[in-house]
Amino acid sequence: MIASVAVVGHQNNPLYLQSFTNANDALKLHHIVHCSLDVIDERVNNPKRSVSTLNESYLGLLYPTESYKVYGYLSNTKAKFLVVTTDLDVKDADIRSFFRRFHAAYVDAVSNPFHVPEKKIVSRTFAQRVSGIVKAFAAGTNG
Amino acid sequence: MDPLKSYFGRLLQEEISPMIMVRTTPLAEDACQKNGLNFVELLLPFSSFTKLNVPVRTANDQPYRIQLFKLRLAYACDIHLQNDEVAEEHLKQVVLDANQNILPHLTSEPPELQNLLKSRPRGYIYSWAIISSSDEKKTVLFRLNPIIAPSFGCEDRSNLTSCDFLSFPMESDLCPSWIETFNKELIRTVSFSEHETFDHPVACLFVVSSKDEQPINRFVDLLNTDQFPPLLNDGVMDPKILKHYLVLHDRQDGSPDKVSNILAEMRSTFGSNCKFLCINSAEARSDDGKDVPWMPYGSHILHRDNTARLLSREDINGVRDFMQDLSSNYIIPHMEQKIRILNQQVAATRRGFRNQIKNLWWRKGKEDAPESPDGPTYTFSSIESQIRVLADYAFMLRDYELALSNYRLLSTDYKLDKAWKRYAGVQEMTGLCSFMLDQSRKDSDYCMETAFTTYLKIGSSSQRNASRCGLWWAEMLKARGQYKDAANIYFRISNEEPSLHAAVMLEQASYCYLLSIPPMLRKYGFHLVLSGNRYYISDQRHHAIRAYRNALFVYRENGWSYISDHVHYNVGRWYSFIGVLDLAIKHMLEVLACSHQSLATQNVFLNEFFHVVQSMGKKFEVYNLRLPVINMASLKVFYEDFRTYASPSDVHVSENLWQSLEEELVPSATTSRSNWLDSQMKSSSRRNNDSAVCVVGEAVVVELEFQNPLQVAVPISEISLICSSSLNTPPPDGDFESPYNSDSSFMLSKLDVILETGETKRVEHLKLGIQLEVCPKMEGLLKITGVRWTLSDTVIGYRHFEFDMKGKQKKGRRDLSSLSTNLEFLVIKGLPKLEACIQHLPKKIFTGDLRPLLLELRNQSEFSVKNIKMKISHPRYLIPGNIEELNMDFPKYSENLESAVIKEAPATVIPNTKSFLFSFPDDAKVQGRACLTWPLWFHAGLTGKISLYVSIYYEVESCSNNMTYRILRMHHDLEILPSIDVSFNITPCKSSLHEFFVQMDIVNKTKSDSFSLHQLSSVGNMWEISALPTTLYICPVQTLLAGQALSCFFKLKDCRKNSSNEEHLSGCDLLMVSQDNKEVIDVSKSPMVEFHQFERHHQVKSSKMEAWAWKHSCFISLLHMKIYSEGLSANLTYSLFFLRYDDLLFFLTFLKGSGMLPVSVDSTSLPTVLPSLAEHFLKLFPSSIPSQSTLHIAPQLMVKLWGDLGKVDFILISKMAKTDPVIEPVERPKLLTNHTCHISISSNSPISWQMSGSRMINHDFSASFCEVGFHLRVQNCSDSVVSIRLVTYDVMPGRKHSEMAKLSDSSGNGSGWNDISLVNDIKVVSSVQGNRPKKLSMESQFPFIWCALSSTKLDLQPLSSSEIPLKICLFTPGTYDLSNYELHWELNPPERITGDLKTCTSGTVYGHPFYLTAIQLQH
Repeated sequence: MIASVAVVGHQNNPLYLQSFTNANDALKLHHIVHCSLDVIDERVNNPKRSVSTLNESYLGLLYPTESYKVYGYLSNTKAKFLVVTTDLDVKDADIRSFFRRFHAAYVDAVSNPFHVPEKKIVSRTFAQRVSGIVKAFAAGTNG
Repeated sequence: MDPLKSYFGRLLQEEISPMIMVRTTPLAEDACQKNGLNFVELLLPFSSFTKLNVPVRTANDQPYRIQLFKLRLAYACDIHLQNDEVAEEHLKQVVLDANQNILPHLTSEPPELQNLLKSRPRGYIYSWAIISSSDEKKTVLFRLNPIIAPSFGCEDRSNLTSCDFLSFPMESDLCPSWIETFNKELIRTVSFSEHETFDHPVACLFVVSSKDEQPINRFVDLLNTDQFPPLLNDGVMDPKILKHYLVLHDRQDGSPDKVSNILAEMRSTFGSNCKFLCINSAEARSDDGKDVPWMPYGSHILHRDNTARLLSREDINGVRDFMQDLSSNYIIPHMEQKIRILNQQVAATRRGFRNQIKNLWWRKGKEDAPESPDGPTYTFSSIESQIRVLADYAFMLRDYELALSNYRLLSTDYKLDKAWKRYAGVQEMTGLCSFMLDQSRKDSDYCMETAFTTYLKIGSSSQRNASRCGLWWAEMLKARGQYKDAANIYFRISNEEPSLHAAVMLEQASYCYLLSIPPMLRKYGFHLVLSGNRYYISDQRHHAIRAYRNALFVYRENGWSYISDHVHYNVGRWYSFIGVLDLAIKHMLEVLACSHQSLATQNVFLNEFFHVVQSMGKKFEVYNLRLPVINMASLKVFYEDFRTYASPSDVHVSENLWQSLEEELVPSATTSRSNWLDSQMKSSSRRNNDSAVCVVGEAVVVELEFQNPLQVAVPISEISLICSSSLNTPPPDGDFESPYNSDSSFMLSKLDVILETGETKRVEHLKLGIQLEVCPKMEGLLKITGVRWTLSDTVIGYRHFEFDMKGKQKKGRRDLSSLSTNLEFLVIKGLPKLEACIQHLPKKIFTGDLRPLLLELRNQSEFSVKNIKMKISHPRYLIPGNIEELNMDFPKYSENLESAVIKEAPATVIPNTKSFLFSFPDDAKVQGRACLTWPLWFHAGLTGKISLYVSIYYEVESCSNNMTYRILRMHHDLEILPSIDVSFNITPCKSSLHEFFVQMDIVNKTKSDSFSLHQLSSVGNMWEISALPTTLYICPVQTLLAGQALSCFFKLKDCRKNSSNEEHLSGCDLLMVSQDNKEVIDVSKSPMVEFHQFERHHQVKSSKMEAWAWKHSCFISLLHMKIYSEGLSANLTYSLFFLRYDDLLFFLTFLKGSGMLPVSVDSTSLPTVLPSLAEHFLKLFPSSIPSQSTLHIAPQLMVKLWGDLGKVDFILISKMAKTDPVIEPVERPKLLTNHTCHISISSNSPISWQMSGSRMINHDFSASFCEVGFHLRVQNCSDSVVSIRLVTYDVMPGRKHSEMAKLSDSSGNGSGWNDISLVNDIKVVSSVQGNRPKKLSMESQFPFIWCALSSTKLDLQPLSSSEIPLKICLFTPGTYDLSNYELHWELNPPERITGDLKTCTSGTVYGHPFYLTAIQLQH
């Protein structure tokens, strides 16, 4: 199950952060997402990165903690997408397709002429679409 | 890097070193205690040797030298596993001790990232380089250390293009030193365990004082194994250890002579391992030990008062020599020997192929042995224990190769035996050996990992061992530069430890993240927060604050407010716990504006904040308090210099609008500024050009937007401005400006509000614009610097206005200089100030409402004002009346038909498009404290919303100031609702050339109001309205209900022929009421006539210019400078144009007149004289423009005169029906006038004609045929020459009827409703129109013959008429329709206007029916 999704701007400022757990763990998820940015930085700046992964947006598993796993995805505009899952075994392909849809939703949201770049995404449509994607993901992994 | 020289290498060499067990007699201890030390403490400083330089030979024959060596000393009673509680207490004490040191740091500023990363390295140089490699264009950080750099992939230095060296922090700079101590203490809690032998004593030191009775016996007592540690007695370790005997002599007890006897005795009893040590030889000194020789060795215990008082230099040297002798001559050789012996044994039993097979076989046989948690027990004599001892001794003597091989040997054994704890211990040591040998990292990491997990697997008993293993592992990784991995290990340890220990571990983890490459700041912050949390849980608030504070800078990154709020809030809370309230508040302030948090959280934050502030016990002043949020961009300053405003809302009107309105009003040169050069000169020449001017006693208003970001209502009180003022006049001592006592020089307004929250349903929060005032009381300079407020009666916030914000709008100021100067005011002495209001001006008015209003001017000051002028922006709606009208009763006053004298409209009425200037009479002065009222007339001309602007100019009488005049500005917004809409359609009367049928369509457009129609008037004396003969009243009903449409018909008679050239506005009225109210309202009286002028002027504007200019004769093409006069009429129309150079718009005024022109002009000469004519007129009148002329701006350069032929103006006067009680009496309109102007009487043919002649003839047809003569009178209604051709037909062409039908259709669209009506109204109208009777076509019964000419052609001059004689022949009696003739007409303007005129220039009309009845004459 996806605990939280986040979009982080290229200056590492949070653009969108939504948790899908009922518990009052917003602070924790904020922390986890924030920490994961370090890992993204590290991945992206690592000079040893091979050519095959250099052009890949999907960054893979970033930050395994005991109860969560964080996956990351980096767009060409350096917008970062993060997913915190409580599933400890998730197929890579599932995550990839999830990120692709998430990215598409983001692109649509920021294409709105009234959206201010690098400001928080307040679009209700975007929120609905993301929760739709998250639900679809949950259904896909369970079924 | 050499692992031996790393911190961890040195640590291992210190921690894993030979242990000496010490036993003393009480008297020996007493001797030491005279110095405040126990015996171990006395020896401790001399137990480590940096330059021992002893040759060592272990199993290998090759000797090597040991430089660094250390002995550990412990009392026999301490050599046992520590109790858990005791260990916890001990560790907690370490943390508590650190508490005292950090308190001063907590009150200082938290560290910044730059400071953290730039802090100077001490000792070891760590350099970093930023490498820009040319091929990858990437920035790489690496540590310029030959050993470590390769690990970062920077072996190849050749591609370095630029290097930038940074100094990077060492761990010791970041990590508080007590943490190191803590780690050591944590490790020591697992000392003396059974499964490891490096803590087992290598030797035993027995100490007896020389004062002891029978020292030998004392030694024997000490040798008693009962009091030995359990390790020796339980068989875990070999009880046969090296023994060393020492006699301690206290010099104060006498000379050491007798000791030699004891020594000799001892040597005979115990052998050569006997020594003698002398202490306390120094004099007892009372001074505080400045030159205590002990000083360099024991600073850590020197704080006790009498420490080492009695130790002389010789004593200390004696101790040192003793220790050196002990280690190099006894301990090391003993260990060497033991290693060799054990090695031989191991080689004999375990080395070689045979032994290994045997071992395996033997081990396998034990497989089914029951498994115990500690595995099988091993005594000291078992081969496994001996291997372990061998390996540990080798490790301690730095023979890591030997140690490693033995550890490896042992680990398989233990693994097979399932002795997991021992296995883990051995793995741990294997890892350490690998590290010390600088062998493969993978191996050592693997070993440490195995050890760590194995320890954990065993359970709680070896949890602490796991922690120790982890600490060593982390140190090992740090020594190799793998900080990130080290951080991970610390994190793993923290999971296994109680919260306090976990906190320390997490803190270390965070430092590791900071030191990793590149620094992982976010993880640093996160782990600090985790650590702080654990500290807090374990009641270490100081440490918790320290950890959180250090993390703060990480979250200052934009947007992570959730986390930073949490950190700030907790830091604040904890500060308040430890009583540092100011810092607590400082941090609390950061979270006040937490709009993103939930309501509960906001409440918690606020309450906590107020709680802290209250416990502070006094009001607290905060700069830039975040609550409420002040929108600095909304800052607006309003003040009155020479401009004053009637109400605060008037200030918001754009300054440009006022200025354009006041152009003609203001006499000063400031308005005539035409270019930028001008303005610059003016501003530089101004005396106090950089500050605005305000007047004593008149408030300066600052408007500021306050915003409550929270969902909690916030009470704010005492909002006021912060101001400073200074006297302008130079005081005697020479200072130009001296600060003035602010209390008396101005007065501040104070305001209390409660900022409500934006409710739950609305996301956006409430903004509140707050108006603050400062009222200067003295002349001088006043400066507004900021704003202050009190939040919840507890916190005073203040904020200075910052002046760097751009694009700020500031009203009431002409030149937009920076705000800093705009907030400075030059206060000048008091001036009179008029206040004005327009009484009874409703906000909503029906269209057409005509009402009197009262303008009230009040002068509050002592001075009187004079020369009052008024300018009104929309004279169509508002005009000033006459003073006589002040007390008249409206509308009664207008209903005075008898006294209606023909009078000219007032000369002051200038139908200007822009505005209206009115000068009050000279005697209208407003004295001090007096009031002036003046009537105004209001007429709601057009539906819609309108803003009326009124500027009143006045001059100050007897004023010494440089400000001689002031302007009062007033502004009103009105909404004009639709009421009655009227439209007219005029068709020429067929039966009379001078009569017209008028169809009047009236629609009530209101929703619920009804109107009673009162009167219809035509304007001007040229027209006469009369009811159709069959009806008494033209209108069938008097009251028009809401939404009702009505059509009325009446007759209009053209009286132009018999009127002279003198026109006036008396008009012709037709009462539409039937019963009671018979009074006719005179439309030629004052307010009505002026408004009609304006209406007429504005309605011209909206009509279609081209067709209109074509239809009516006079137009000027200014491009060609040609003019066509109005024809041959005696009332020649002359023209005048104004040319405004600045905007290149042409104003043309036509006027009617005769005496004005010095030269006589006719239509041919006019073009040539026009330029001079215009010049003449410009000189002649700037003011007296006759009222009957209309001025018009023609964009297509064609201009039309009003007042010519064929135009009718109607005024429909109605009253509000007295049915609706909802409207207040004041609001109720008394009279509504609808002005409809410029209704053309002409149809779409320029001619009208009428056949005249006898209708009935008696003729004797039997005698002859009958000849009848007729006249066809043709009139030219147009303004140009028309050539007419009359054609008669004996047989009507077949197409006649269809064409006629087409004609009537097109005429239905031609005139009538103006184009401003709404769509649904058109529907109403068209249905009305549909009822109109169409022209009936009649068929002639019998043919008749036109006599005489069949075609006549003639030219008609404008407005002239001509008669054409006609004759027909009749042959039989009957009724004949004489309509079978056609009139072809063609307009012949002298010069044709080419282009886009759409009006047709020729056409054909068909004859009107004219019936002739011929009767047979009976004789």
